[in-house]
Amino acid sequence: MIARVTHFVTVTGLSMNTNAKRKPTTTTHTGVYKADSIKDVAEFLGIGISDPVATALASDVEYRIHQVVEVSQEAAKFMHHGRRTIMTTSDIDHALRVLNIEPLYGHTSNNPPTFRRAPPFMAHPSTVNAANPNSASSTVYFVEDEELDFERVLREEKIALPKGVSWTAHWLAVEGVQPLIPENPPAIPRDTGEAHAEAPTTNGTAAVPITTTHGGLFAQPAPGTISALTSTTHAGVGANAVAKKSTQPLQPQSQNLVKQVLSRELQLYYSRLTSSLLPPSASDWTKRSAALASLRNDAGLQALLPYLIRWVGEGVVGALKEGAQSDNDGKVLEVLMDAISAILENQTLFVEPYLHQLLPPLLSTLLHSSLPPSHSTSLRTSASQTLSRLLTTHSTTYPSLSPRIMKTLLLALISPSKSKGSREGAVWGLVGVGKEAVRKGVVEGGGARVLGDEYISKDGGQQDGLVKAVLSALRVLHPTSETDMNDALDPDIPSDKAVIDELNEVLGRYFADQVLRAGDAAWARAILGKEEDV
Amino acid sequence: MQAANPSHSPAASSPPPQESDPFQNVSAPERTVLEYLRARGYKAAEKALLDAIEATSEEEKTKATIAAEEMVKTLAVFSQSPSRPGENALNDSSNVVQELSAINSPASLQNLVASIGTVGAEEILSQDPTDKQEGFRELEAWVEGSLDMYRPEFRPILFPIFCHFYLDLIQRGYKDAALRFFSGFSPSLAAAHSKILHHLSTLLLPSHVQNDEHAQRFLNEKYMVRMSRSGFSLLVGWLTEGVGGEALGSGLGFSGEKGKRGRAAVMRVVNNHLRFDVTSSKSSAILSTTWEETTGLLSSLIPQPSGSSSVTKLYDPRAFNLSKGDLKLGPVPMNEELRSETERVLREQAMVERDPNVQYDLALTRPQPLPGQTAPSEADLLPRPPNFKTIDVDREVSAVRDARRRIRLEPSALTNVIDPNSPQANAVRARALPSICAYTLHDVVEGAPCLTFSQDTTLMAAGFAESYIRLWSLKGEKLRGMRSDFSSNQVRDPASLRRIKEKKGSTTRKLIGHSGPVYSVAFDPLSGSAAPPKHLLSASADGTTRLWSLDTMTNVVAFRGHENPVWDVKWSPMGIYFATASRDRTARLWSTDRTSCLRIYAGHLGDVDCVQFHPNSLYLATGSSDWTARLWDVQRGSCVRVFIGHQGGISSMAISPDGRYLASAGEDLTISLWDIGSGKRIKKMTGHSTSIYSLAFSQESSLLVSGGADWTVRCWDVKGAGGPKTRENGASDGGVVQKYGEGTSNESADLVATFPTKRTPIINVQFTPRNLCLVGGVYQASETR
Repeated sequence: MIARVTHFVTVTGLSMNTNAKRKPTTTTHTGVYKADSIKDVAEFLGIGISDPVATALASDVEYRIHQVVEVSQEAAKFMHHGRRTIMTTSDIDHALRVLNIEPLYGHTSNNPPTFRRAPPFMAHPSTVNAANPNSASSTVYFVEDEELDFERVLREEKIALPKGVSWTAHWLAVEGVQPLIPENPPAIPRDTGEAHAEAPTTNGTAAVPITTTHGGLFAQPAPGTISALTSTTHAGVGANAVAKKSTQPLQPQSQNLVKQVLSRELQLYYSRLTSSLLPPSASDWTKRSAALASLRNDAGLQALLPYLIRWVGEGVVGALKEGAQSDNDGKVLEVLMDAISAILENQTLFVEPYLHQLLPPLLSTLLHSSLPPSHSTSLRTSASQTLSRLLTTHSTTYPSLSPRIMKTLLLALISPSKSKGSREGAVWGLVGVGKEAVRKGVVEGGGARVLGDEYISKDGGQQDGLVKAVLSALRVLHPTSETDMNDALDPDIPSDKAVIDELNEVLGRYFADQVLRAGDAAWARAILGKEEDV
Repeated sequence: MQAANPSHSPAASSPPPQESDPFQNVSAPERTVLEYLRARGYKAAEKALLDAIEATSEEEKTKATIAAEEMVKTLAVFSQSPSRPGENALNDSSNVVQELSAINSPASLQNLVASIGTVGAEEILSQDPTDKQEGFRELEAWVEGSLDMYRPEFRPILFPIFCHFYLDLIQRGYKDAALRFFSGFSPSLAAAHSKILHHLSTLLLPSHVQNDEHAQRFLNEKYMVRMSRSGFSLLVGWLTEGVGGEALGSGLGFSGEKGKRGRAAVMRVVNNHLRFDVTSSKSSAILSTTWEETTGLLSSLIPQPSGSSSVTKLYDPRAFNLSKGDLKLGPVPMNEELRSETERVLREQAMVERDPNVQYDLALTRPQPLPGQTAPSEADLLPRPPNFKTIDVDREVSAVRDARRRIRLEPSALTNVIDPNSPQANAVRARALPSICAYTLHDVVEGAPCLTFSQDTTLMAAGFAESYIRLWSLKGEKLRGMRSDFSSNQVRDPASLRRIKEKKGSTTRKLIGHSGPVYSVAFDPLSGSAAPPKHLLSASADGTTRLWSLDTMTNVVAFRGHENPVWDVKWSPMGIYFATASRDRTARLWSTDRTSCLRIYAGHLGDVDCVQFHPNSLYLATGSSDWTARLWDVQRGSCVRVFIGHQGGISSMAISPDGRYLASAGEDLTISLWDIGSGKRIKKMTGHSTSIYSLAFSQESSLLVSGGADWTVRCWDVKGAGGPKTRENGASDGGVVQKYGEGTSNESADLVATFPTKRTPIINVQFTPRNLCLVGGVYQASETR
């Protein structure tokens, strides 16, 4: 009996153990082992047995197999104590040995036998069926016996020695926090609500980026986390915004550069940020504003600064080079101006070393001759405002900064070859630089006069952007003039007459008229730097 | 079977029972039944019975003795009126149950069984497989239809009745009916009892039932069920009258005669194989967790006092634990001379280090008995060498140092933290949770069943399935053994000893000697954290335990005694002695100077899978495949506590350093925390998703760390309250939080941290004396063949 059982185990037991262990235990099986198989084996041994006997034997064989293999039975015990979850042939061998049954030699777990299914022999179905109805319908399984070419084995097969067992050590947790090192698996993302509920059990810092990634656009970084992680957090902001759309690759060249230097998180953040800023379209306004807010407020972006500035610079050059007449270019420039101002507003960024790179795009926008008409005024104003902020923050560290910029602007204003656009920009720039610059440039430097003369010679005083710019520049000199005494200059009064003359002289006739037309004596005096006399 | 269903057969409900059976005293019972069935129109049943009689006739002969005995048992109900037909038998059985409930003592039950009279024709009817189906369906419907407050205590009776019905069917040869019965009703029970159910499903022939150990336990032992008094009387009421909890729309068909016969079948099992522990407490006091501890085939799991008759048998583990009296769980007192010598050394060190506090630490850092603990006296301990050695002093001194430098872990602080992301939560987490250093083995071919670290963390040893042990120096020092070609008379002084050391060496060393997979390795604790250990023990599938000298790097002794694979070996905390656990269902105590064992701890019904010494080495805990853990008095060899409650074999254990708690991990994927003194389960911790391989307590006994096959290391708060994590607001106070048999898939509330690894099953976790956690595992390459 026992001997026969072992034979059955050879057939079924081994085919079981090569599969994964533990099948679901709840399934009932009315016969894994079929009576037909018993009959096959009996036939093979030259014994004829009847159906009831075969059925009973099949049940018994199944029970014996379970006894050897199954859950909480022998082979499973060896598997458990071997600290494995996959049963191997050696487990079966050990189980058979402790049950006092001769183990099955020749099977190793490294080299499991492959069972082949032989299709039923169909050559002469009628005769076969007549002879034995069962054998024709039942398929036969057999162990594949691979043929080896001895020559080839001798010639080719190289037996590689297995590498010896080695060990490595790493920190799985440091004071209850799992460090994010390659040896540890990446943290498992969880839903926000769940993460919050289970936070005491999650792995400290490891959970932070995940939590905030799902925490919405304006998630604040958790205090006390290192800056690298917070930047990951905000990469998440961009990620959220862009995740749905396929990101168009922008400026692949600079991106390539970035990838070689920066950490992956920052690279991700950079690409997400730039792609959510540009190209601008009306629909993703929220995305853009979120990105700008992130740029304005987030810490930990210092490493990205050179790349951002370079990106802005190239963007501006790219937009202006193509003539910058289309509406789209205007929008691009607008976004870029916003980006510059966001960079400058960010308290945690140390911008000073990059000022020399930041100024050219700013001044280019300001002084470019032909900005898109729809955006030119707003662009120049915002550029001048940014310039003004830049100068107020950094002129203390670089005292020579404002004079140098003023000089550039003056040159643009006065030199006759410049276009109107440039001049308007120069005036706006002077406004941005400050009151003194306006006085020096527009009033004393003769900017207004030159412009005024040009106007008169050309078309006799048609108001346009440039004039407005000049006037508002002049307004800067005396901002509070509307409310209090609003008396006009009277040419009959000698002192006023002198002022009018002087205005004519300094501003030129055109702008003097404009100023006088406003009828504001205080302003006029202020332009001339005389308000304290009155 | 379908044709026999009473609802389809017009004869079932209508005919009066008196005239149904004209053949009363016929000698051949089968004939009677057949005629009866024919008269009632049960064609299918008749045919099935005919087949069954044919099939069983051969086997009847071979097991005639059992048949007679079983017959008597099965017919207990009908004892007093063998000649009367079905309906009247029910009245009798009601008498029986009334009697049972009135007297309610085992002795009277025995009398009842003994008073079984002659056998009539009728009882053959009880073999009809259909009544089992009907009976169980009705019982299930009744249990599910009962009041919410009773349902949890009724549910446990379903399982034993199911098992007995199934075994009964198999025993009588109704294989197909048994399989149908199994597939019909097992799914509802699968959640709580999948292992036994699966085992039962493998039994297909009567001979299997005769030979199978589990089946025999079911047949020969009483299955304990705990029930409140009111619940019990409800059950009795249903069994006798069939009232209450009927499935809706079942109509007369169920309450008719068929249903009565079904109930009679249930009652037979209840009378013969179930034993009710009727408590006077309210039913809500029987919680979901306690059914595991008080339900099952307990009588053989609990060691019975010698010479006890069936009357005085213990059925309640608590009664047994109580009967064994108090245990001495306090720490070992320190040898006076050793203490003074240690103090002297500490004082010297204090002078050198200019740290005046050191010398006072000895008294503070020695573990003190907790309130309520009795410390053992010197006489209680295992015999030890009378004199202490230098290494003992070194060990004690370094223990004091370790205690001073220890990182204190307070996981209970974590429960107060509300906002998990706040900075103070991070600080608390740092204080509460350990630092864990993971050692990963790579390129292991066949698997490494065990891994361990020496207490001073200089050495790591792993046993492999390929029968060898590998030793690594974690400090990168060379491991050098001794040359084999020296004569012992050359050795005179340390210098000459050094000379015979091997010239070359590497940081790793292979120890070869076993002839089977090595299942456990253990470094000797004698040198503590002061110096590298001198000896290593290993246990293997070849049945031997081997002692290796780490000076010579050779095998010194092979301890033979277990004939079967040795699953586990552990040193006693004071060295010299060690214990082994084996497949032969015993644990044994050995000392290193004798090759035969000193004590054999026998009593488990399954393999002893793991052993663990109590820190004062007076007691030995064993965990077994019979789902229980026991605590043994090491010297007397008697069992003093039994811990019942796991729903699977026990794979690993740990005892807290303060000697108070036993933690056991089972194949049911839970960790149970037991109070050793009382033997009661404190709580059940769930969260692991596959087998748990190793457990370890932190030095303050406040934190439990577990590692398992699910590639995680988990930290548990020992002091914290267990129970399911997410509680419905307000409903949790209701007492019955979980329903019976519903597995807790989610993590319990005291799981404070989970640290996943990369595809590394954790086979060992342990704490260093300074509370650094070391874990070890074997990396599993993702390709699977």
